[in-house]
Amino acid sequence: MQYQMNEFLFAMILTELEDAVGKENCSTRAIDKVTHSVDYYWLSRMWADRGCRMPEADFVVCPENAQEVSKVVKIANYYKLPVTTWGAGGGTQGGAIPVCGGIILDTKRMNKIYEVNTEGMYIECGTGAIYKHIEWAANEVGKATMHYPSSLTCSTVGGFLAHRGIGVVSTKYGKIDDMVLQMEVVLPNGDIINTCSAPKHAAGPDLNQIFIGSEGTLGIITKAQIRIFDQPEERRFRGFLFQDMNGAFKASRELLQKFKPSVMRLYDEAETASLIKKIVGVERKGAFMNIAYEGVKEMVDVEEKILLETFKKYGAEDLGSEYGEKWWKEKITFFYPGHMMDIPQMFGTMDTIAPYGKIEEIYWAMKEAIETNFPQAKFIAHFSHWYEWGAMVYDRFIIEGKDVPKDPVEALRLHQAVWTCGVRAALAHGGVVNDHHGVGIKLGRLMKEQYGPAMQVFEGLKKTLDPNGIMNPFKLGL
Amino acid sequence: MIMSEKCKQHVDSCRFCWMCHHICPIGNATGQERNTARARALGISLVNRGAIDLSEIMDNIYECCTCGACVHDCITGWDPVMFTKETRLQAALEGKLPEYIMTLVSNCIETGNAYGKTATCDTLTAAIKAHADKKDTLLLLGVDAKFMACQQALKAIKVLEKAGVDFAVLENEVPTGVQLDFLIGAANETKEQMAACAKVLDQYKTVVVYDPNDSKAIKQLYKEYGIEVKANVVTYTSFVADLIKDGKLKAVNSGKKVVFQDPYQLSRDLEETEPAREIVSAYASLDEMLLNRAETVWAGNILMAQYMPEIIKKVAARRIFNATSIGANAIVTACVSEYVSLKAVAEDVEIISIEDLILGE
Repeated sequence: MQYQMNEFLFAMILTELEDAVGKENCSTRAIDKVTHSVDYYWLSRMWADRGCRMPEADFVVCPENAQEVSKVVKIANYYKLPVTTWGAGGGTQGGAIPVCGGIILDTKRMNKIYEVNTEGMYIECGTGAIYKHIEWAANEVGKATMHYPSSLTCSTVGGFLAHRGIGVVSTKYGKIDDMVLQMEVVLPNGDIINTCSAPKHAAGPDLNQIFIGSEGTLGIITKAQIRIFDQPEERRFRGFLFQDMNGAFKASRELLQKFKPSVMRLYDEAETASLIKKIVGVERKGAFMNIAYEGVKEMVDVEEKILLETFKKYGAEDLGSEYGEKWWKEKITFFYPGHMMDIPQMFGTMDTIAPYGKIEEIYWAMKEAIETNFPQAKFIAHFSHWYEWGAMVYDRFIIEGKDVPKDPVEALRLHQAVWTCGVRAALAHGGVVNDHHGVGIKLGRLMKEQYGPAMQVFEGLKKTLDPNGIMNPFKLGL
Repeated sequence: MIMSEKCKQHVDSCRFCWMCHHICPIGNATGQERNTARARALGISLVNRGAIDLSEIMDNIYECCTCGACVHDCITGWDPVMFTKETRLQAALEGKLPEYIMTLVSNCIETGNAYGKTATCDTLTAAIKAHADKKDTLLLLGVDAKFMACQQALKAIKVLEKAGVDFAVLENEVPTGVQLDFLIGAANETKEQMAACAKVLDQYKTVVVYDPNDSKAIKQLYKEYGIEVKANVVTYTSFVADLIKDGKLKAVNSGKKVVFQDPYQLSRDLEETEPAREIVSAYASLDEMLLNRAETVWAGNILMAQYMPEIIKKVAARRIFNATSIGANAIVTACVSEYVSLKAVAEDVEIISIEDLILGE
């Protein structure tokens, strides 16, 4: 049934939501609505910068646990109200923006750390916990989460799970989807379910992986068991300079057949000459690569020997450990205002991933597509997450403020055009829509181009689990 | 809204930066997105762009405790406390202060303290009278201790008496202006209180400041506002630590296991972290919480509890969790306001002031 919200019904719904989560955890105040309308997505920032208000939720609710989440989604289903889940708002794809109004469900009150289990090597926590807080909890018992994205301090466990995030030591320890044992999820109908008690099994498809990356469109993850690791006895760094990217790819591919470093980051010439020069101090022409290897000391000694031999074969210049250590120390500095791109610039990260046979080709194709079609744009890239079979490219476009339209709608049009062009170039050469930032509303339109008829699997899940289509509408292309 | 260019620059840098999201003691306690530096900056930036009215963000502006955890955490030196305080000042000038804040401001102006109190408890009054004679050294108790925690004020006096210090306490202490500074920033009324206080302090050779909040004001804010204090101003903790070093206080270590709650005013603003540890270590066995010294987490105060008591309880409870999660069952404080806040919610953990520790109470 279609209806228009009116003052009476609004007041009725508000009382029901207050009953579900407590009056103090349910807000219709302007400050709460505004705060939850702008995330890290460039378009939402630009919109606010131009003095415009982004689409806002009608209600902001902060449940404390799965039971309260369940009550909220039952109310939302009854009144057919959209529910957009909000972690800490650090997403870059507009996934947490309540584009259709309705309810913002902020998860941060679900931040309890239930258990630090050093035998099973996991922390069980509410998904509203800021990831840095569970890192602190792990550190207190001498362990570490080994999930260190630049947004470590400003994203929740649920936020990372919702968009399949990744951290800087992923090559050795894995992505967020490798970090989870068990999860509790509230389905759109309000049922509370648990996934299997272990992530590796033959009891059918892995339920964890259906919800990880689903961006709040299929349900709300409320609790998770997150893996922890022993702190390494040693963590060493080595910086290298490659004169050609191809050599760097070959060297890295060969290295990964032998062992897994923790950090592997290859910066193209343009990024070496800009960000790396500014933050790390490398003032040399070429492509800078930082490698970290860690673990038990004896093994680290062996890995260092293999690394030096392998990279030498491909003409890498050994820059010693200083730049790598500096990079580690400054790894988050890159993302602070003053170091990072910011409004009035227009910018975006079009990360994609592919096997070795394709990734270099994708890089050149995206670079050409952006630079040819948008000569006002600068293109820089690095390759920061590596596997035995391939790597991801973290490529960015940057348009200086003077070339960005002041009119918000015109700026939106340009932004959309650059993104469509870049991602289509990646898809045409065998890449995927995104590697680790997710899809959100930014890339939803390209999901069908990515998946073709395979999209019906997601659509079928969506239709069955969320027949009223209330969960985070227009995200993930669903 | 009229705002300095410097502040606007900080607002526009912080409004889209999430990096200090994890560190706000209030945000962590409430789980509310609005209790973050970026949310506050976003709100102010939208006011500056005419997209929202100042009155709609003022409650949120007063939910900031100005502890500076976000400032300390920021690698690039952006300062959310600065723009928060400037917004408070502007709201005061524009007559847009929330009513509950206006009451506190009026109290500060009329009675010298935000609580509107005019008398101390009888025992404290008597103890102060015993030190009414002019001496070289003045013990400045501060409004929180005098009016809201008189037992702690009494103990502060007793510790100095025990050490044989010859000191004075003012019957009519002048306010340091720190409460007005919190409520309305660098307003004329704030600076007038500060200047009047400086005049009184200058009549003494040494001023021992009991409340870290006042210490921060006198040693740091006065300079920022161009108010000079000629007297030698020392924090209570550093003064007492010296008394122990000089043998004037004979410490007996009970071996009791405790953690120390660093007041941010000492550890972050005045960079004083060790004197309190020297005291605690002399009387007990000191363990460290994960977030200590300059990384300390504010544990609540009496002033904000006047208008957001439930949130202050949550803040204090969360800090207690930091202590108990490493197995501690006793927290030593050096700030009367944090002592009161923690004490109000402590269940399975003992809250002890520095004075309690020294006096064995």
